[in-house]
Amino acid sequence: MTATAPGPRLEAEGLARAFGAHRAVDHVSFTLEPGEVVALLGPNGAGKTTLLRLLSGALRPSEGVVKLDGRALDTRGPEWQSRVGVLSHQGFLYGHLSARENLRFYADLYALDHARERVERGLESVQLTPRADDTVRTYSRGMRQRLALARTLLHDPDVVLLDEPYTGLDAHAAAVLRGVLEALRDGARTVLLVTHNLTEGLALSDRIAIQVRGRWVHEAPARDFDPTTIHERYRQTVEGAGGGAP
Amino acid sequence: MASAVALLGASLLMVLLWMVFFWVPTEAVQGVIQRIFYVHVPAAWVSFMAFGIVALCGVMYLWLKDDRFDRLAVSAAEGGMVFTTIVLLTGPLWGKIAWGTYWTWEPRLTLTLLLWFIYLGYFMVRNATENPERGKRFAAVVGIVGALDIPLIHVSVLWFRSLHPQPVVLNAEGPALDADMGITIGMGVLAFTVFFFGVMMLRYQLECARARAELLEAR
Amino acid sequence: MNAYLRQVYAVVRKDLLQELRTRQRVATMGAFAVLVAVLFNYAVDPTIVRIQNIAAGLLWMTLIFAGIMGVGRTFALEAEDGAFQGVLLAPIPRDAIYLGKVISNTVLVTVVVALTVGVFGLFFQLQYGTHPVALALTLFLGVVGFVALATLFGAVTAGTTLGEALLPVLLFPLLVPLVVYGVGATGRLLQNRPLAEVEGNIRILGAFAVACIAIGAVLFRHVVED
Repeated sequence: MTATAPGPRLEAEGLARAFGAHRAVDHVSFTLEPGEVVALLGPNGAGKTTLLRLLSGALRPSEGVVKLDGRALDTRGPEWQSRVGVLSHQGFLYGHLSARENLRFYADLYALDHARERVERGLESVQLTPRADDTVRTYSRGMRQRLALARTLLHDPDVVLLDEPYTGLDAHAAAVLRGVLEALRDGARTVLLVTHNLTEGLALSDRIAIQVRGRWVHEAPARDFDPTTIHERYRQTVEGAGGGAP
Repeated sequence: MASAVALLGASLLMVLLWMVFFWVPTEAVQGVIQRIFYVHVPAAWVSFMAFGIVALCGVMYLWLKDDRFDRLAVSAAEGGMVFTTIVLLTGPLWGKIAWGTYWTWEPRLTLTLLLWFIYLGYFMVRNATENPERGKRFAAVVGIVGALDIPLIHVSVLWFRSLHPQPVVLNAEGPALDADMGITIGMGVLAFTVFFFGVMMLRYQLECARARAELLEAR
Repeated sequence: MNAYLRQVYAVVRKDLLQELRTRQRVATMGAFAVLVAVLFNYAVDPTIVRIQNIAAGLLWMTLIFAGIMGVGRTFALEAEDGAFQGVLLAPIPRDAIYLGKVISNTVLVTVVVALTVGVFGLFFQLQYGTHPVALALTLFLGVVGFVALATLFGAVTAGTTLGEALLPVLLFPLLVPLVVYGVGATGRLLQNRPLAEVEGNIRILGAFAVACIAIGAVLFRHVVED
């Protein structure tokens, strides 16, 4: 991890992406501070996943710039790729390989030093060491998601992008996940968490943003939200911005 | 501009028709059927030239990701496929009378058949993706690899032919050209090329209009 | 180890490990090759043609059809659980992914071709001629050239809605030089013709393989990156 630079860690300026004529992300601008955890909420089809894919470099933006530590960033360049970690709703795992082999594969792709130790530490952190040599297809949804999280964090990224990490998890897996995410709030790492789960998003984040129809329509510190009224406030924001049912 | 070029091409085609039917002398050995050459040869020229444009625009599109190159490429490819089809129709017609068979593995005809299939692949990948941009990239890749492979295909089918006895034919070579015939062929190449560029430019304008319409529709 | 080589090796190792676990591709390709040989036995009347005379063509057709089945699967396997997206998020040059895939696919197809050649010997008493090394080299270079193109276009077709069905349409026209020179060399080697007669062909096959790898390595990025 690099030393904390003054100023924002990640900035997006006028980020946009259209598929044919459909604007999935419509000129979004924001900043993420070092150490900040931001929860991004929004209805289905709001373009949240597309935004994450733009930030991660999986998609090329039609317009706009992303800046890392104040410098314009090639989201498809190796420098950024080795500093960002992405957890999607798919695990990016090979079912016929064991957990250890999967992590080892990614450690080699990232050309990490001390690969063996990192892999073991990663397995440990998500409590999968006892099952590390079983093939991933024998895993439950929760175990897969934990392994996917270990894969996301294997190269110790400065910026972590999480897309609906809680979908379909049992209580135990959710607890492990929450523990790891809490540990990510170490003051240096920047996390953008896309979620449907308002309560979970509120509990984990410093700031809440709401995206509707490709735009960020609302941003506020998490402390401004009351857990009892957040659902109502969210619904009003989404409807006010012309979005469908949340 | 585009319609002017297309009209000029069409007029040149009329002149070509007149030359083919009334002006140029009948070839002594083959007779009337040889006149199909004045369509066949220019069409073949345009087929391969068009694929060159497809490949060049493909390179530019992958490099600059500018939609205009893709529109140009697809316009050239559509025209090219039509002319390739003309070559494949006129070749066997001539072959049946001159060679006594509709199809021989004559290297140039073989190459044109393969070119037709490469064009086919070009359109198939283009239309087989959910994300249109991906289809454009895939098509560009097909165009580039195809264009690089075509010379090698040509060399290989020539080599193959040099090894294998050909079916007995009346006249394996094309006709010996006299001056008038040369002029008519030249006119054919000119007319087909101008007409092709005119049609390609019209097609390009249509493609641009379609893109604008999609943008408006989305608003 | 150099980072680039380590990344290429990671892809190769992962692919082969996967294949070792599932044996999907080698099993389907191998069964296909053997069964095709069985069908050839009935498709060719030995009182009219000697198999020795047409074996080169049959071998190459089997190589291409079996190869298409195997290589066509390679990106479908990657799509499971979106794994390939994960690979693309890593700081790995796209040509390293392509080279890794070409190497692992070459290993698989070579195994199947070796099996096919063996089966032809067993079923049809095929004589391998006086230059088995040249024969092996011819087939191997053919496999490399084929795999280089098939891997690139396998990535293309995997991204389309038509999937692997489209692969032959894109690939076959481009494979003509490979078949012409490959079958030419193989046929002569099986007829015990002198090496000098096939040297040129083998060189061209080698050049074709190298050129296809180079083209694939350059273009692969444009196929896999959205």
